[in-house]
Amino acid sequence: MSDSPDHTKGVKRSSSMEDDGNGTKDSKRVKTNGKAKMDNYNPYLAHQYEDSQNDFQSPLDALERHKTTVKQASKAEDSDLNPWTNQPHSQQYFKILQTRRDLPVQKQRQEFLDMYHSSQILVFVGETGSGKTTQIPQYVLYDELPHKTGKLIACTQPRRVAAMSVAQRVANELDVELGEEVGYSIRFENKTGPKTLLKYMTDGQLLREAMHDHEMSRYSCIILDEAHERTLATDILMALLKQIADRRKDLKIIVMSATLDAQKFQTYFFGAPLLAVPGRTHPVEIFYTPEPERDYVEASVRTVLQIHATEPEGDILLFLTGEEEIEDACRRINLEVDDMIRESDAGPMKVYPLYGTLPPAQQQRIFDKAPEPLRKGGRPGRKCIVATNIAETSLTIDGIVYVVDPGFSKQKIYNPRSRVESLLVSPISKASAQQRAGRAGRTRPGKCFRLYTEKAFKKELIEQTYPEILRSNLANTVLELKKLGVEDLVHFDLMDPPAPETMMRALEELNYLACLDDDGELTRLGSLASEFPLDPALAVMLISSPEFYCSNEMLSITSLLSVPQIFVRPNNARKRADEMKQQFAHPDGDHLTLLNAYHAFKGAEQSGQDAKQWCHEHFLSFRHLSSADNVRAQLRRIMETHDIELVSTPFQDKNYYTNIRRALLAGFFMQVAMRESSNSKVYKTVKDDQLVMIHPSTVVSSPYDWVVYNEFVLTTKQYVRTVTNIRPEWLLEIAPVYYDVDTFEKGEIKSALTRVTEKVKRRQTLKGNSGR
Amino acid sequence: MGLAGAKNKRKLGVDPNNTKWSRNTDSFGQKLLRAQGWEPGQYLGAKDAAHAEWHTEANSSHIQVVLKDDMLGLGAKRNTGDECTGLDAFQVLLGRLNGKTEDTLESERQKREEVKLSHYIERKLGTIRFVKGGWLVGDQVKEKLAEEEDGTPKNDSTPEAATVLSEDSDKSSDSAEKKSKKREADRGEKPSKRGKNSKKRKTEIEADSDSEDSRAKLKSKMSKKRKMDGDASEAVPSATPASVGSDSEVESKKARKEKKKREKEEKRERKEKRRKEKTESDDSISREKKRRKGGDESVDLSEPAASSVPASGVSTPSGSGYSTPNAGVSSRYLSRQRFIAQKRMAFTDATAMNQIFMIKS
Repeated sequence: MSDSPDHTKGVKRSSSMEDDGNGTKDSKRVKTNGKAKMDNYNPYLAHQYEDSQNDFQSPLDALERHKTTVKQASKAEDSDLNPWTNQPHSQQYFKILQTRRDLPVQKQRQEFLDMYHSSQILVFVGETGSGKTTQIPQYVLYDELPHKTGKLIACTQPRRVAAMSVAQRVANELDVELGEEVGYSIRFENKTGPKTLLKYMTDGQLLREAMHDHEMSRYSCIILDEAHERTLATDILMALLKQIADRRKDLKIIVMSATLDAQKFQTYFFGAPLLAVPGRTHPVEIFYTPEPERDYVEASVRTVLQIHATEPEGDILLFLTGEEEIEDACRRINLEVDDMIRESDAGPMKVYPLYGTLPPAQQQRIFDKAPEPLRKGGRPGRKCIVATNIAETSLTIDGIVYVVDPGFSKQKIYNPRSRVESLLVSPISKASAQQRAGRAGRTRPGKCFRLYTEKAFKKELIEQTYPEILRSNLANTVLELKKLGVEDLVHFDLMDPPAPETMMRALEELNYLACLDDDGELTRLGSLASEFPLDPALAVMLISSPEFYCSNEMLSITSLLSVPQIFVRPNNARKRADEMKQQFAHPDGDHLTLLNAYHAFKGAEQSGQDAKQWCHEHFLSFRHLSSADNVRAQLRRIMETHDIELVSTPFQDKNYYTNIRRALLAGFFMQVAMRESSNSKVYKTVKDDQLVMIHPSTVVSSPYDWVVYNEFVLTTKQYVRTVTNIRPEWLLEIAPVYYDVDTFEKGEIKSALTRVTEKVKRRQTLKGNSGR
Repeated sequence: MGLAGAKNKRKLGVDPNNTKWSRNTDSFGQKLLRAQGWEPGQYLGAKDAAHAEWHTEANSSHIQVVLKDDMLGLGAKRNTGDECTGLDAFQVLLGRLNGKTEDTLESERQKREEVKLSHYIERKLGTIRFVKGGWLVGDQVKEKLAEEEDGTPKNDSTPEAATVLSEDSDKSSDSAEKKSKKREADRGEKPSKRGKNSKKRKTEIEADSDSEDSRAKLKSKMSKKRKMDGDASEAVPSATPASVGSDSEVESKKARKEKKKREKEEKRERKEKRRKEKTESDDSISREKKRRKGGDESVDLSEPAASSVPASGVSTPSGSGYSTPNAGVSSRYLSRQRFIAQKRMAFTDATAMNQIFMIKS
């Protein structure tokens, strides 16, 4: 296809292109255009102009799907009318277009298109700063022309925030409204419309969609971004797309990754062609300590201060492991910097913490400018960001020149034998360390200070961070796979197949939860449970709650359990916080305490009080309570669509709390512990025989012999957190299969259960006798 | 853990790894997997997958990590009771008994000596700070070296960064000397190290080659301006306020030490003439060089931190095994150290040793 059919418009556009090429200002361009129009206006050709107005889409019409060239696409981009909306382009658009043209990927756009045309699957490697996340989907847009085929382009992101912000950015670049031509879709939010052509979404969201559309038939091209992060959902999507690619030859797949293990991706995708784009990074000098550090937090604080004292201008990024550590380090750095300023002519330094549970407004502060010098001509100020590993890949902060890396991060680990999934501080990988160092070279050459020896780097760090699929409980994943129609779990072609034991445990749990039948087939309950974006245990608990007449309450508890801890316990007011918590305490358990707090929150909200202030006074997290509220609304909608009754026991009923406690067991009967001996503090988990203690945060003052717990926490001791008292009789009644006494090994738990069975039997016969 | 260590009691169950479950062959999960064609010992995943070569231990069994409940830095070991403090003085003796070569012993001894000396100087005299004054090129002082201009920021900041690394920014000059001294000892193994490094990272390569480059140029310049070297040595490390205050002191100390060392070396030379000869001459040549053009050594510094090892003398009170200095080692320690130093001197003396162990040579 050539340009000849739309020659007249071609003239107009080419003039604008020239102007662009000359780099003239937008205003001038508009003026010349107007003049050109006036000069060339010919009334006899009016129909042609008209035509061009009506037929504005022709820049795209001229293109043929999967045969476009950069020239054609740039022409369409340069046109005065937005080919996607038919509205004139704003001035802002051309400004952005200029910067877009300067991105490193632009140079290889033709190369990309050629490869894209010739291959179904493409592995794209772009270092950070290459512009791949924003540009590649647009290149595909101009090639795929989704308005003709009616099929969308999807681009997945591992994180919700990224999906949202990138969608916004790309909408700006294309000069369209967010939610119209460009939209995003994340777990509890869908900002797309009927006109949407390009959709950014979390990888989990695409997976959810695939459950109802096994062929992903809505899409003509799927781009998996940040594949090197190897999230659970991305891993499954890759395996799934590999299968679908076989069945749907028209589906194009692009896997985008950072440089590190591109070869692995290539091999995995049948030797797909690889396109690499260099990033815009500056060299980073790496320093190691000569000897290991005794205290890595102490050492990192000192290093930061030293950088501040001796190094030229530039911001600092310090990686630590968790919230507490970060806050502590921030405090210490602040104190020392104050001292430094008092004692000498040091520049000011702003210290910002950064971690996942930080309120967004505070997270945003990391983008503030570094402080001005204290006085004119004084030493320059700088900012120091103390972050968890979310700053490693997901966030790009400009101005970072120094990186301090102690070499640890908190990582999720799952042990299928003890069924403990926990976040543990462990050494990072080499790849991770390089990624961290790379953060120093975004704006100019930087330095990375590693608080370990080079020997430790070589010997103690693993090559690559383990993908999430090897570190998680797979119960939810297996349920999803079943729902996705994957029958053969053993030979499902994952890039990194999980350990067989992990898979076994997942199957076993699902079987006990009655989500899988004894042949491994998905049951009705299982199918229903997979509709909920929850762990299977929580989902099953929710689904069976109407049987206990408390589905409203269970809905609240489930939402509260799926958000971070709502009770706030600031270091400087621990005692008062604990006192406040006692106000909500229910002697029988933490689950019930959560519920009380939530009810009180709703009560305060309805009585017209300032909820934020109320939360602050009561040491509750307003943010987490509101997000629990939001989750609750979402879950409620799902329940309603599946006709799950929403009922409550009257509050006056003496069984109000008992019902709730019993309903908990419907999902969590596998997370029960029995006290080793009376008056002992040590509990033993059922079947797995792990010795645990009840976490000190509990409100349960007189624990029963049996408790159900929400999570198993591994610190110096093994704890169970969020516990509620239960009666063993309920176990036998609610989960008879799991609590089949014959399957237990000889021990205290077995004998206790036997005693309970006999007691129940005796009572029944007594009842029977009296009944007769 | 010594008696003073934190007590960390933890009750373990009979079967903390739950092997009971993992050995159970007729659990639901295992039955199901077997039914789908899995055999114990196999990976899950596609048969004969092309990417299987990347599978690791983690694909066959769950990932096992060591529970970390302390603040120890990466690679640091808790003193488990088998290391004694104060044994420092006997390292040479012990090393010899453990069959270490004279070379390594000597270099280790030097490291320890350097650390101690720099600490002494710091505590006793404090440090004097200097500011950047540009480079002397020809007869004019320039703000920047010509070749610095392009590949710069990294280059001129290097020495100071090395100092930062060494945890005590103040004493770049004296640590610089130490470092370069140490470097000579390392010179033999350096190329190979560097080769490894360069493989590791592109950026590092650049950095390296850059610094190398400028060093070469610098060298030529320096040789022209040998007379001015005293100044130059301070100027080159640049941005860091370098301290020379203690310079003369250090210098004299160094001279004494040098002399001592030379004597010692000569002694050794006699012993192992043939092997030593080459390195020794190398050594002395390079030392000579260094002495004459102090500037060079600070540029040397810009080499990969790899070689900074204990060289960053400043970093640690020796023997603590960590690079964060132990705040405020008591002065009691000082006299003790002097005492120990005397002993050690006796130990390094081979003839004295022979007497102690009653070996007839």
